[in-house]
Amino acid sequence: MTALDGVDLVVPAGEVHGLLGPNGAGKTTLCKILSTVLLPTSGHASVGGHDVVRETADVRRIIGIVFGGERGLYTRLTARQNLEFWAAMYGLRGRTLRRRVDAMLSQIGLAERADDRVEGFSRGMKQRLHLARGLIGDPQVVLLDEPTTGMDPVAAREFRTLVGELRDDGRTVLLTTHDMAEAEAVCDRVTLIDNGRLLATERPAALSSWISTYSRVDARDVPAERVPKLIGELRDIPGVTAVRAVQPSGIRVETDAADAAPQVVRHLLDSGINSVATSTPDLEEVYLHIIGERGLRVSR
Amino acid sequence: MNALAAGFIFEVRLLRRSFDEMMVLVTAPLMTLILLSITEHAGRTDLAPYAVLAPALIALWTIALFTSGEIIERERQNGSLEPLVATPVAIGSVITGQILAVTLLSLVGFAESWLAAWAAFGIVVPIVHPTAFTAALVATAFAMAGTASVMSSVFVLSRSVRAYQNSLSYPFFVLGGVMVPVALLPGWIEPLSRAVFLSWSADLLRDSLTPEPVTNLVARTGVILALGTAGFLIGLVLLRRALDRLRRTGTIGVA
Repeated sequence: MTALDGVDLVVPAGEVHGLLGPNGAGKTTLCKILSTVLLPTSGHASVGGHDVVRETADVRRIIGIVFGGERGLYTRLTARQNLEFWAAMYGLRGRTLRRRVDAMLSQIGLAERADDRVEGFSRGMKQRLHLARGLIGDPQVVLLDEPTTGMDPVAAREFRTLVGELRDDGRTVLLTTHDMAEAEAVCDRVTLIDNGRLLATERPAALSSWISTYSRVDARDVPAERVPKLIGELRDIPGVTAVRAVQPSGIRVETDAADAAPQVVRHLLDSGINSVATSTPDLEEVYLHIIGERGLRVSR
Repeated sequence: MNALAAGFIFEVRLLRRSFDEMMVLVTAPLMTLILLSITEHAGRTDLAPYAVLAPALIALWTIALFTSGEIIERERQNGSLEPLVATPVAIGSVITGQILAVTLLSLVGFAESWLAAWAAFGIVVPIVHPTAFTAALVATAFAMAGTASVMSSVFVLSRSVRAYQNSLSYPFFVLGGVMVPVALLPGWIEPLSRAVFLSWSADLLRDSLTPEPVTNLVARTGVILALGTAGFLIGLVLLRRALDRLRRTGTIGVA
């Protein structure tokens, strides 16, 4: 099985980069390779100029990693004890360690629960602790693999603020997520990935415009007797990929060429249909367009 | 050193909240009572040191096998091995610190065994040669930790850890001469048992409890330390190979 194939991606220092894709797309595999947890069978990857295979020690010194899910914490220990252990793993000790742990606990809003065992924490609190663990070593490069899984909306919003702070600090962040709104809100650029291949890398806004070739045109109040004929005519316009009747009295046209949507609109207006609207795809639609017909199936 | 200490402190904290991992310390005194009741009933009071020492050594080995031996696999199951591997720390030092903590705590079995003999039978087994006893105990703990580091690296690659653990208990109690001295076993066993540090430890500890002078203390302690050092070195090599294999196969995080 090939998990990643022909991946060519450069994330400049200081950028918050989003990696979007469905389950099994290769997002986590990429994160694991970059974090030196997984050895690639071929190819080359470097973090901060250090090769992830040959210079693992250098890479590990500058990265912080947060894998998604609830696992990975020591639930019988307190939040503070968890962070103290991980801080020691990054070479901190003594007063510096204690100060750093206190600062992280405050930053993630767990200062008041610092001495409670993690087994009593909610999923969102555990996820915040995961974040603190990933940042405890003051990393230059932060790899966040589905970091907001299980967070409530308030915590997720705070997370976005936190990512903003990481950007302000000049850190580089690679964030994998399913959440389009999150990607749009926090990422400088977004890469779509599926089946181990990168499909596109753009700024969230630019990505939307890039995909505007996939515009959608909706016509309403179309007399029922004219619908079949109009559908036939619209299908003949170059760049139109799909035309279908929409209840109660509408037509929806999908296009895949930049100049197709204006032609569709013109044709509809010329045909006396005055209730016409085009819609700009949001990132989620972009994502779905690129992923295509695969839906929720997980590829091998 | 920082990583070693961090691993040690972390494991102590974890064991305080996970006493089930040290359940053998509950059964060790009971075994002392069983063995002592046999030796006393047979009128062999001279075998009391054997009956007191054996459960403590068995506890030491069993905890190493089932607790220290599972340290890496436990991290893997917990999902914390991946982030641990991704830190700049020398992971071997952390694991060694953890194993040392488990090993030191398992020495409580010696105190328990002595106390059980005194409390139930009024028997106080004197430590006739305290220097030899202390040297043997320290060397034994060191060698046990070294051997446990081999176990933990091997077990993380095994698909049937329990089968290994079960098969590594009683054979080693025999090879280690924990109850019956190796000298009393069939001759062909001795060469095998001399490769097991436990046989040297058991003999030296027993000798330190009897009135006769302890012979070749330095050399015998040296053998135990050498076997322990070999364990540590082999353990570190195996750990590196195990982690490389897990990284290559992408199974570090697979429980």
